[in-house]
Amino acid sequence: MKRRSIAFCALMCLPIMARQHCFAAMEGPAKEPIYIGSKACGSCHDGPQMGFQYSKWHLSAHAKAYATLSLPQSKEITKLSGITEEPYKAKMCLGCHTTAAEAENWERGEGFHLEDGLQCEACHGPGSEYATADVMQDRMKAMAAGLKMPSKDDCYPCHRTKGSHEAVLKTQPFKLDAAWEAIAHPTPKASQSGSDSGSAKSDSASSQFKFIGVMKCAACHTGPMFNFQFSKWRLSKHAEAWAVLGTPKGLQIAKERGVNGNPQEAHQCLKCHSTAADKDASARLDTFDVRDGVQCEACHGPGSEYSTEAIMRDKAGARQNGLWTVDRKVCLQCHQEQGSTGFDYEKAVEKIAHPTKPPKAEVAEEPRYKNPLNLCLTPDNKQLWVTCEASASVAIVDTATQSKVAEIAVGGQPNDVCFSPDGRKAFVSNRLDDSVSVIDVASQKVISTIEVGDEPHGVLVDPLGKLLYVLNTSIDSISVIDIETLREIKRLSASRSPWSLAISPDGELMLVTHALSRFVPDRTPSMSEVTVIDVKRAVVNDRIVLPAANLLQGVAWHPSGEYAAITLLRTKNLVPMTRINRGWTITNGIGIIWRDGTTDQVLLDQNNLYFPDPCDVSITPDGKYALITSSSTDRVGVVDLEKLVEMLRSSSAYDRKRVIPNHLGKSSLFFVKSIDVPACPRGIAVSKDGSTAYVASMLDDSVTAIDLAKLEAVRRIDLGGAKEPTKRRRGEKLFHNASITFRRQFSCSTCHPDGHIDNIVYDIEDDGIGMGPIDNRTLRGINDMAPYKWIGINPSLRRQCGPRLAVFITRIQPFTSEQLDDLHYYLCTIPRPPNRYRKLGEDLTEAQRRGKKIFERTHKNDGTPIPVNNRCITCHPPPLYTDGRIHNVGTKFPYDRDGKFDSPQLLNIYDSAPYLHNGIAWTLEEIWTKYNPYDEHGVTNDMTKDQLNDLIEYLKTL
Amino acid sequence: MLARSKPLTVQVLLVAFTALPALPLSAADSTPAGNEPGLPYVYTKWEQITTKDGLPNDHIFAIKADPTRDCVWIGTEDGLACYDKKTRKIRSWKEKDGLPWRVVSGIDVDPKTGDVWLALFGGGLARFSAGRFDHYHQLNSGLVNDVVYGVAVIGDEVWCATTAGASRHNVVKDKWNIYTEQNAPMEEIWNYGVSARDGKVFLSVWGSGILEFDLATERWKHYLDPDGEMEIELYRDDGVVHVITTGVSYVDKTLWVSTYFGACRYDGRNWRGFFAQEGGTPSDFNNAARGRSAHECWYCTDKGIGAIVDFETDTWVVYTMDPDTREGIAEVRRAGKILKTLRFKQGVPHNYVLWAEFDGNDVWVGTSKGLARAIGEGYYPRLRPLDTQTAGSGSRP
Repeated sequence: MKRRSIAFCALMCLPIMARQHCFAAMEGPAKEPIYIGSKACGSCHDGPQMGFQYSKWHLSAHAKAYATLSLPQSKEITKLSGITEEPYKAKMCLGCHTTAAEAENWERGEGFHLEDGLQCEACHGPGSEYATADVMQDRMKAMAAGLKMPSKDDCYPCHRTKGSHEAVLKTQPFKLDAAWEAIAHPTPKASQSGSDSGSAKSDSASSQFKFIGVMKCAACHTGPMFNFQFSKWRLSKHAEAWAVLGTPKGLQIAKERGVNGNPQEAHQCLKCHSTAADKDASARLDTFDVRDGVQCEACHGPGSEYSTEAIMRDKAGARQNGLWTVDRKVCLQCHQEQGSTGFDYEKAVEKIAHPTKPPKAEVAEEPRYKNPLNLCLTPDNKQLWVTCEASASVAIVDTATQSKVAEIAVGGQPNDVCFSPDGRKAFVSNRLDDSVSVIDVASQKVISTIEVGDEPHGVLVDPLGKLLYVLNTSIDSISVIDIETLREIKRLSASRSPWSLAISPDGELMLVTHALSRFVPDRTPSMSEVTVIDVKRAVVNDRIVLPAANLLQGVAWHPSGEYAAITLLRTKNLVPMTRINRGWTITNGIGIIWRDGTTDQVLLDQNNLYFPDPCDVSITPDGKYALITSSSTDRVGVVDLEKLVEMLRSSSAYDRKRVIPNHLGKSSLFFVKSIDVPACPRGIAVSKDGSTAYVASMLDDSVTAIDLAKLEAVRRIDLGGAKEPTKRRRGEKLFHNASITFRRQFSCSTCHPDGHIDNIVYDIEDDGIGMGPIDNRTLRGINDMAPYKWIGINPSLRRQCGPRLAVFITRIQPFTSEQLDDLHYYLCTIPRPPNRYRKLGEDLTEAQRRGKKIFERTHKNDGTPIPVNNRCITCHPPPLYTDGRIHNVGTKFPYDRDGKFDSPQLLNIYDSAPYLHNGIAWTLEEIWTKYNPYDEHGVTNDMTKDQLNDLIEYLKTL
Repeated sequence: MLARSKPLTVQVLLVAFTALPALPLSAADSTPAGNEPGLPYVYTKWEQITTKDGLPNDHIFAIKADPTRDCVWIGTEDGLACYDKKTRKIRSWKEKDGLPWRVVSGIDVDPKTGDVWLALFGGGLARFSAGRFDHYHQLNSGLVNDVVYGVAVIGDEVWCATTAGASRHNVVKDKWNIYTEQNAPMEEIWNYGVSARDGKVFLSVWGSGILEFDLATERWKHYLDPDGEMEIELYRDDGVVHVITTGVSYVDKTLWVSTYFGACRYDGRNWRGFFAQEGGTPSDFNNAARGRSAHECWYCTDKGIGAIVDFETDTWVVYTMDPDTREGIAEVRRAGKILKTLRFKQGVPHNYVLWAEFDGNDVWVGTSKGLARAIGEGYYPRLRPLDTQTAGSGSRP
């Protein structure tokens, strides 16, 4: 190594060595390695003696991995991965596009920049403990200090087939061997002898203006606020300018121009391939790095005096402080001097243009739909407020003119809306944001936002207007909010997935429905709960169980207060799904919750025509009719309640318990009419005077007014969504439509409400004898999780949803190729909510930190090594936390054909209980305490209870 | 399966729960009361409730008054019971009724939600919410151990004293913490009792004295016996009387502690020990302490109840049962002297007392042979001069 190189290297290593020294003096507990960044590695690993390793990396796609997240394709990829955040803020993207994305802030040294993409330490491990010359000279010593020497398999977690990337980038399948060859960066065996490269000459730096380096500029000029200016530069040739000098071509050109030594040290080359090459060290601050090539300051001048935000906001001030005006001359200094005869200044400027705001033409407006879900009339019935899930808004309809008059922006994925009894305030639950928007009705402005539990659905205010109840669907609880202070005063325990709620006419009782059954033992029917709340005391005072029912959603009280009606499904999941052609695999109906807590269940299905996905129910003020929406057959069913009650009362107790709940012929006695409405009716509300019912049609962006005297749909009220059907929209409609199944018994959304789970174990295999029951899995973020099925035999979603679906599940004509494309696209875009236990950039808690160590551990508590194949991280590597392979983890049950199952993703694992392929584990703990007796599912039996708790705390952050 | 934390001798507790008293209280002659400083209220009207009245079992381990529901929850060796004070009827739940485990060793009620939390001796923890039992144990949750002695609710948290450490469960965030010798000043991990109030949680730990946890600062304080592990009190009032503590009760910023070697009180500045040889409490073998105020605490002993009813004057009322006649006896004691002895038809059903619970003016007492309710008609706290005492028949000593 040349003297100058050594000096440079030593300089770069100083902070590291200082830290080493500091640690050595401590003699304390084991050191925690931290990430030091690629430049620290490059301080030694570059130049001809080291085979220009750093330069090679700098020119690689790895180095640009972060910058590519600014490209429009990345946005499309996130959409197809169900990611709701921007790519550069999404943990899942950063996991493969940067280094140390999962690390805490303290684990990143000062010289480390996330923006440097996939750096040396992504493969070789955090370098603080091994990246010194004395350690690195001894491979074994370095490895003992944390240096990792990756194998090809280590590339797989990121380079595995990902549907989202394939769909957008149209890339060829990843060829690992070729890629391995391409990024190979061996250290040459023999060092080159010293040569004269014509060392860089430098001016003395008398100027007050110092060069600060591009990473300082990047601190602000990144992200959409600055139109990804840093990323744009990072993807440009300018950023590569220094690194290319180390390529064979660079060396060749240098040689041709009389540079004999290392062109990366030759002034002749550096003056155009780097920034401030003609300045000595005193003109550069420590943050400047020549290896970043032609940086911002090459054109804009040294930034030390103008780069603060305050000065940058003042153009004249910035100029006075050294900001150069960039013109033709600046470019031509290099591009003409180097004999670039073909250099077209105008074109070049256009190519590197990096305005703070993107040109308008670049922003492609996507059609925006509304997806109205639930609706509520103001207490005076003059307005109808409708939550629009897709547009994050509430649409307001004037009931006199029956037209939309306003729209208010609220939080993400608004679900339900209600009013205070005086009509002054409205409350909207925002499912994506875990919040409730409080709206001043008069001014139609959001005046406050209340944080509540995970994925709030139903909201309702008590009759006195003092308390607001919010159903936290994903965390099985009910927030009780004091309306005066807008603070949560208590949280009641619900059952699983509380959905809707209604208060009895006398204001005493509130009923809460639940979409998911309570956990039930293996091969046992569902047991769903209706929670009864004593409204005066705001406590739960009863929990009514409906046997064999699930997906309890809509609820409405009869005006007499004698009973309430709820919508429900009776899913016969213990019966093989192939029996669908017998007509009773999934049946649909309503439940009657009598005031005394007893219940009845009746089906709305008829033999030839089912009533799938009953979502919501509303009862006319005279108590005559119950109106029920069937979201997947685009109908509102009308039930004559007098007839229904009469039928029940005239039946024996035995019949009411054993026969009627499953009887497909009974509905003809009380189901009096079907009213066709536009696509996917969800919420329904009846006006106080009983004249009109309003139905929100989710996939038509409209509300339908039904004349209750005639029982006919009389008007479609347009809410203003996009009219053209996009591919996603077409897929969404297929997903929510029961026409895909035999006798329209169910839709995709039946088993995947909100794109998630229904908590049911199904037998969907073709044997028809009950072999291979499997737990239903979430569709959120499913696109990148190939292979599919618990046994991992379906390589793609298309195959999963193609003819196989028709053969085993729907028993009807399979989707056409076009339909399959649309459905597939929609499935891919079902969003996965952000992790609720660790936001991006948040440090781990102590418990989570300990849990992470357990997740990554290589030795048992007694020091015994854990075989690689039996470590958590081997089968669940970040960022997807699945290796996409099948493994036998000792969970084969008598009904299973084979013991090998797909290793599931762990992202947001906390919200998809039960666990394991057959849903046998109700909690994460049980996976290891009950179903891992022989350490086949990771080595866990040596762990203490607090270690297991820590592990679970960490798993929840993934 | 998971490695269990340090296994402890469960039998010790069983013995403690079931052993009979060694000596019956003698029916001492009454001594004339002094002129000053007045006399305490004495409970002379008692109601006894046993399996004949509908209790699922006579071994009463825990009692919790639930004024919102106007009932009292009773934890027994084989089932949970609820005594409806209006109807005087008992409803009970055994394992066949959904109770996750037969032995209910501790009870607390969440004042906000009304949920009843049950410590299950060997079965973990349960939430009884509007008829539904939710079962948390060491295999399905973050609970450190299934042998749970005591449970206390504070804010959104449920604390459990278990045989292998303390567990803290945040119900809203669904988060579990474990406290053992690894992360708390717990020299032993056998937690016997837990009391939570005013932002503090106190644990009585067998062999580790009393631990105080401040919820705001997340810091521990440790109260040990300065005499070490000696079973005598070398220096009086220097701290907890023994590191083997069996119960703790925190009320009015005052800590009442029970041990098998005496009892004590701490007001944040001074400790004070109570021993049988000094004539106040009937026994040094204390199963539990239940503080009513800074002045009054009922110690549940193997020889009846020793209730210190006015700390400042060292005035005690000792409630026992005459094993021969089964009559109730109350002795008013002050500074080692018996001031008054009263006998009444029935008092505590058994002298081996395991728990006491204040319910307005009434007091509920759990023994190894039945439950009793001391009816506090005309109850008054501390002392009153004789001429101003309430004229309730049950109260005049």
